[in-house]
Amino acid sequence: MGSYGRPYCRQLDVVPPFGDARVIISRVHEITLRVDNLSRRHGAFWALRDASFATSPGEILGLIGPNGSGKTTLVECVAGIQSPTSGKIFVGEKEIPPERRKEFLYLVPDGIRPWPDQTVMTVLRFIAALHRNSANALERIVQELALTPLMHSRLVELSKGEHRRVMLGIGLLTPQPILVLDEPFDGLDFRQTRDVIAVLRRHAQGGRTLFLSIHQLPDAERICDRLLLLNAGRIVGDGTLPQLQQTTGLGSGMLEDIFMALT
Amino acid sequence: MARFFRELRLLIVMDVRELLATRAYWLMLLAVSALVGQAFLSAVEFYAEASGAGGGPAALSQGLSPLEGILVPTFGAYDLAATLLFPFVVIRLIAHERQNGALWLQLQAPPIFGVTMASKGLALLLAWFVAMLPGCSALLLWHNIGGHLYPPETLGLLLGYVLRGVSAIGFCAAAAAFSTSAASAAVIALTFTIGTWALDYFAAARGGVLAVIATYTPLAALRTFERGEIQLATIGILAVVGMSGLALATTAAPSGRTLNIRMLRSTAALGAAILLCVLAARIRTSADVSENRRNSFSRTDEVTLANIGAPLSVDVFLAAEDPRLNDLERGILAKLRRVVPHLTIRYPAAGRSGLFQSAGDHYGEVWYESGGRRLMSRSTIEEVVLETVYQVTGATPPPPDNAPTYPGYPLRAHSTFAPWLFFLAWPLLIAGAWIGSRRQRVQRVG
Repeated sequence: MGSYGRPYCRQLDVVPPFGDARVIISRVHEITLRVDNLSRRHGAFWALRDASFATSPGEILGLIGPNGSGKTTLVECVAGIQSPTSGKIFVGEKEIPPERRKEFLYLVPDGIRPWPDQTVMTVLRFIAALHRNSANALERIVQELALTPLMHSRLVELSKGEHRRVMLGIGLLTPQPILVLDEPFDGLDFRQTRDVIAVLRRHAQGGRTLFLSIHQLPDAERICDRLLLLNAGRIVGDGTLPQLQQTTGLGSGMLEDIFMALT
Repeated sequence: MARFFRELRLLIVMDVRELLATRAYWLMLLAVSALVGQAFLSAVEFYAEASGAGGGPAALSQGLSPLEGILVPTFGAYDLAATLLFPFVVIRLIAHERQNGALWLQLQAPPIFGVTMASKGLALLLAWFVAMLPGCSALLLWHNIGGHLYPPETLGLLLGYVLRGVSAIGFCAAAAAFSTSAASAAVIALTFTIGTWALDYFAAARGGVLAVIATYTPLAALRTFERGEIQLATIGILAVVGMSGLALATTAAPSGRTLNIRMLRSTAALGAAILLCVLAARIRTSADVSENRRNSFSRTDEVTLANIGAPLSVDVFLAAEDPRLNDLERGILAKLRRVVPHLTIRYPAAGRSGLFQSAGDHYGEVWYESGGRRLMSRSTIEEVVLETVYQVTGATPPPPDNAPTYPGYPLRAHSTFAPWLFFLAWPLLIAGAWIGSRRQRVQRVG
């Protein structure tokens, strides 16, 4: 046990997605995630209904929807925090049970405040060491996210935006080929958002798939290669911005207009 | 394997950091220091008085055992800590991580979650060892003022308190994992503690199966070690409780499995734990590590009893709350169980009330039967019972044991250093370590 990907990938006949985080960038290109008819019901209320989509390696996929549309339910079901009422998750052609999803994807949930009494340095070093990432990678991510001045601060002392950047750092230090970020720009100001978008783009260009749940539509427009529009638990649109514009007949419409047209 | 230990070390270091950030732990250390100090000072004072200090009459020196007079009262502070303080430290570590999201981030890390929980268990055990340092310093102090320590019984007592900590870790970890909040887990832990007290109470009155189960409540298990007896069954059960608690905490983790599957796995883990406890309870191997051999017959009697080949059965017609049963149980039957190979003890009147119900005409009798011979005795005196056993089994009574008797260790001494150690040095050291660990964490650059 504790295989962390390798034997399972052999069984799946796919390239081991990680193991040594320093070499994952060259290995992740073949990992695709497919979600098939995922539903989640709370009593009589369907938080998610028949959600189906797939990711492509190295793309930034945005999950867009208003508050209460089921975004968090979807990402938590995909990551294995919540158990769906029905539906399956595939990597390649193989169905992946919840306990093995950590081998392929890593979720940074929204609203968590882990290890509040530890310093940023302690937490990031811990995550990097636990995932066998290098000191160089840690240093690079710290610089990319401008975390250097915060390294000796306790997490409980950080502002919302600072804390969000640390959570992004945690996500970027993990080696899984698919990184799921729930509300990655929440709490960031305009400049920080722009910088983080640039960082995420660089990581996606390295081959890592980013699956972002976002409720700010302008941010989603700027960063996402493809968009999933979610409303009342159902996926109402799936495509690139031009494709969605074409589908809705809104030639140069903004995402907000497209979303309104589809819901 | 190297990777496993590397990951385990990383997790333990982080868990220890989290523990050091927990106010509850530092407060527990401060409280333990004061409790141990007070208990030690009182024990030394009473021991000196019993030894004839202050002009009072001295007790017989054979009755002055440091295990009973000093060690047990001093370490009694740890029973209080394990019951009322340490559970909150355990719950804080596990429930807090669940609430703040750290648990979920660790669930996605390479080590299987069982390793994550094991690391928490080991970090908490380390914390418990550290908490036992004031108690150990009391032992050194006792030795320093001329007190006698018998290593086997001292180590046996320390083992008992380590296992008490292990069982508290296991139970509280499970309570924290099954609860949605730390407060709920604390309520469960306290309910369990009160439940074990109630079990002890009812078992004392009703006997039977309840009495057997009550033998392994944390309090009763500790009493075994405090008597200077080490029972493999008790060690096994306390260890199983500790480990199965961590296993239950693992199976209950929110790992994406459906609630039904988690409940099924938890039930299986609980079933396995109960089975292991039942199996462990059947182990009869035990050792009397007390210097005064309070849990044993004389060596010559033990050799004779151990060579009784025929089955021996004992029917005790005494109610559970009858003090004669307590005398017989502690003074005779527990010792017989340790040495007679084929022994069966039955309590036909254990579920009755000795005051208001009778067990027919036999109430108060103890029947001994072996090889078709039956003898009755009402005595709870060791010499009389042994004579009856030898008669009924046909064994030849051994000659008197000429081994030197327990000399006893009277000591009329006071420790002037103890108040400074427990009420000043330890608190200052703990407060200094607390502030130091906090300062290390809160430095902010720029």
